[in-house]
Amino acid sequence: MDISTNINAASEQDITPKKANKKAAILGRKLLLLLLLSLLACGLYIFLNINMKYFDYALKIRGKKLAAMVLTAFCIGSASIVFQSVINNTIVTPCLLGMNSLYTLIHTAVVFFLGSSNILVTNTYLSYMIDLVLMGVISTYIYSYLFKKTNHNVLYVLLIGTILSTFFSSMQSSMTRIMDPNEYDTLLTTLVASFSNINTEIIFLSFVLMIVVAFVFRKDLALLDVITLGKNQAINLGVDYDRTIRHLLLAVTLYISIATAMVGPISFLGLIIANVSRQLFSTYRHTWLIAGSAFIGVIVLVFGQLISEQIFHYSVPVSIFITVGGGLYFLYLLLAERKR
Amino acid sequence: MLIHNLKKSYNSKTVVDSVSLEIPKGCVLSMIGPNGAGKSTVLNLISRLIARDAGDITFKGKDISSWKNKELAKHLAILTQSNNVQMKLTIRELVAFGRFPYSGSQLTAEDNQKIDEAIAYMELTDLSDRFIDELSGGQRQRAYIAMVIAQDTEYILLDEPTNNLDIYHSSNMMKIIRRLCDDLGKTVVLVLHEINYAAFYSDYICAFVNGQVAKFGTVSEVMTKETLSEIYNVDFEIQEIEGKPLSIYY
Repeated sequence: MDISTNINAASEQDITPKKANKKAAILGRKLLLLLLLSLLACGLYIFLNINMKYFDYALKIRGKKLAAMVLTAFCIGSASIVFQSVINNTIVTPCLLGMNSLYTLIHTAVVFFLGSSNILVTNTYLSYMIDLVLMGVISTYIYSYLFKKTNHNVLYVLLIGTILSTFFSSMQSSMTRIMDPNEYDTLLTTLVASFSNINTEIIFLSFVLMIVVAFVFRKDLALLDVITLGKNQAINLGVDYDRTIRHLLLAVTLYISIATAMVGPISFLGLIIANVSRQLFSTYRHTWLIAGSAFIGVIVLVFGQLISEQIFHYSVPVSIFITVGGGLYFLYLLLAERKR
Repeated sequence: MLIHNLKKSYNSKTVVDSVSLEIPKGCVLSMIGPNGAGKSTVLNLISRLIARDAGDITFKGKDISSWKNKELAKHLAILTQSNNVQMKLTIRELVAFGRFPYSGSQLTAEDNQKIDEAIAYMELTDLSDRFIDELSGGQRQRAYIAMVIAQDTEYILLDEPTNNLDIYHSSNMMKIIRRLCDDLGKTVVLVLHEINYAAFYSDYICAFVNGQVAKFGTVSEVMTKETLSEIYNVDFEIQEIEGKPLSIYY
């Protein structure tokens, strides 16, 4: 092609790469700020009000919780951004896939059928594995099947996900209705997201799984920027759209499964952190968005946990803050969207 | 590009029925016809956006489905009507996506040059840092065309490029399409509702009725009183202006 006839094509060339660099520099600075803030949060979490006499012991406990929080933030943060880009809608959360209700259902069913003193309930490691395998297998199977059945229509898949999630919750609530009240009391503590009581093996295993999933789907993740242009444009640019979308949804469900199995139902967090990241970076480049979302997740979770531990002395779990804050933020997003 | 016996139906309703067509190289071909005649579907079929039920589409001697996605994206570009981007994207970033089939997200110096040329060609240089969602309909349409130009394909397929544009912007758009063919040697296939634009700016016209090709030929062959009346079921008068047939209908 030759369009040599054109004016200021030459001068334009000198300016644009510079502008692009400047933009990247601004984004880089913002990300650095987030990184510093998350480090600050982590530092505060480890050292605030620590008893120097039992420093090693406290560090061990706090360090484990902190690691779990950081992993959760990365899982939920990246999964939410990817999910929103796949659906092409920025006010959805992966909650819509029904993983939270599946988690609650699995736990309730185990207590209901086997009793709260069964090894599957008391051994955190075993219960983690059960959650992970069941959630991973069920969701992968259901969503791959639905995808084929609906001719790759993401909206149908979402709709069915919402229905399934209601279905899971009703099954769960009918079980709790006829359950022994004492058993229900024990059950209830596991149904709230919590960072205590997570052992090192689980954290390590989650970390390895995250890396494996990211590695397996690296090619699809690299196509995220193009995917957001919409189906037609993505196909036009040579992307195998349906396959990529299927893989990305699979990666999202696996990440949510990992995080939920580790700490409990928490994916609502994704709505806040993904949107704050989108507002802050206002770019289409997913490398920035995902990194930003993950760091914001660390900041929100760690500060939330700090408040929950240091101010409310564990009487208010961090998930309450997230749900209240997330709800308000969701309303704000809806109103802002309407104004636009 | 050779199309032979193309068929597509939704449930039991046939929307494209045994369409055979040869798209001549290096010219502008307009597809016209009443609503629901299957023009857009044909365009989507030949650009692999939707799957066909039967028939052959031979593109450069090879069936279109045996092309590698990325390779095809270097030879054939399509622009459809609905382009909703939720992202914060500037014009330059959008146009840069046109280079995706060549270099992925790592732009080379050559890519940057092509992007700048495409932006300048569509006279968007001053706006290149504006966000897409802050543009007017005409500017946005031009930005998308610039992206297609940056994609640097021999074939360009456009689905109603003048849709939602006022008279000034649509005639500008048609002039640009003409120039894409004359200056850059591209083959442009477009779906149009405005018959006179098709008559004035294209080399060939293909008229569709009920999923079938009703008439295919040069502009003067198709733009006759009888043919048009038959296609649209409306009375037509044909007049010559600047040596080109223009239709009057009411």
